[in-house]
Amino acid sequence: MSTALLAESTAFKAPGPSDFEPPPFFTLAGVEVNKPIVIVLLSAVIVAAFFYAASRRIAAGQGMVPGKLQYAGESAYGFVRNSIALETIGKDGLRFVPVLATLFFFIAVNNMFGIIPPFQLPGTSKIAIPLGLALIVWVIYNWLGIQRMGFVGYFKAMMFPPGIPWPVYIILAPIELLSNVIVRPVTLCLRLTLNMFAGHLVLVLFVLGGEYLLLEYGGVVGVLAGSVSILASIVVTFFELFIQLLQAYVFTLLAALYIGGALVDEH
Amino acid sequence: MPPTLPDDESRDLGRKGEADAYGALGLIISGVLVWGGVGYLLSERFDNQLLVLVGLLLGMGGGLYLVWFRYGRST
Repeated sequence: MSTALLAESTAFKAPGPSDFEPPPFFTLAGVEVNKPIVIVLLSAVIVAAFFYAASRRIAAGQGMVPGKLQYAGESAYGFVRNSIALETIGKDGLRFVPVLATLFFFIAVNNMFGIIPPFQLPGTSKIAIPLGLALIVWVIYNWLGIQRMGFVGYFKAMMFPPGIPWPVYIILAPIELLSNVIVRPVTLCLRLTLNMFAGHLVLVLFVLGGEYLLLEYGGVVGVLAGSVSILASIVVTFFELFIQLLQAYVFTLLAALYIGGALVDEH
Repeated sequence: MPPTLPDDESRDLGRKGEADAYGALGLIISGVLVWGGVGYLLSERFDNQLLVLVGLLLGMGGGLYLVWFRYGRST
């Protein structure tokens, strides 16, 4: 083992943020097209194609007896409709099912690219993607609130909840304002991005670490520890799948909650 | 086939608990950010680091009060 240690020349390079910056495949009209861009575009195409194919026969007026694909599409859509929109917003939530379902499936597919070979990089680990999605949600719920109560009324209801003695408002009003306008979209974005970022790092570490131990470090210890690391990476992959679906669900659930909160009086 | 769902009341409570947890976290973070930030600016202005602590505590207190006000009363 000591000889293996001494013979060691190439040090292990731990995975880091640079793993999320793959070199561009090609440059198209000044835009560097790299793996994350391809993954995000592919996710949009996959989601659109799946739901188009699943609803094609309904649109043609012959979907009364659903086929397998239509049944899968209906179940997927029904999940968002029933256990997210109806439960958190209520009947009024039905008109938001299209945007919520789009969010859920776009995020879920993007996340799952983290474990699908040969891509194996979650599109949502690039902060621009969750940020854009969070901004869409932010615009929707603020717009609904302002539409319902007027610009002044919306911020008044948000910053001055009734039933608090007025001097306390000096302390509480800025907190409520920041919480609703800044912290909500930022946490929505960061929760998704960093879950995917950290999950991908852990996965890469197990695989690269295992490979290094097996091939470079060698010896009894290297082979044993490397094998365990490679096996663990398989377990982590399944754990990642769970996290990926959970985070897509949490993002959509919170979007629905914010939309629901703008539609009815809180408290 | 959709999985069999528990009765309405327990489902609502579960969903609400999840929502409240994130809401409460947001309020406490906001409280610390706003008044901790104000305290920091004042401490720079008046060269007194104690003001940061005062701001942080005020913000955390305000955030916790809002959590109680929003989610802790009645029921």
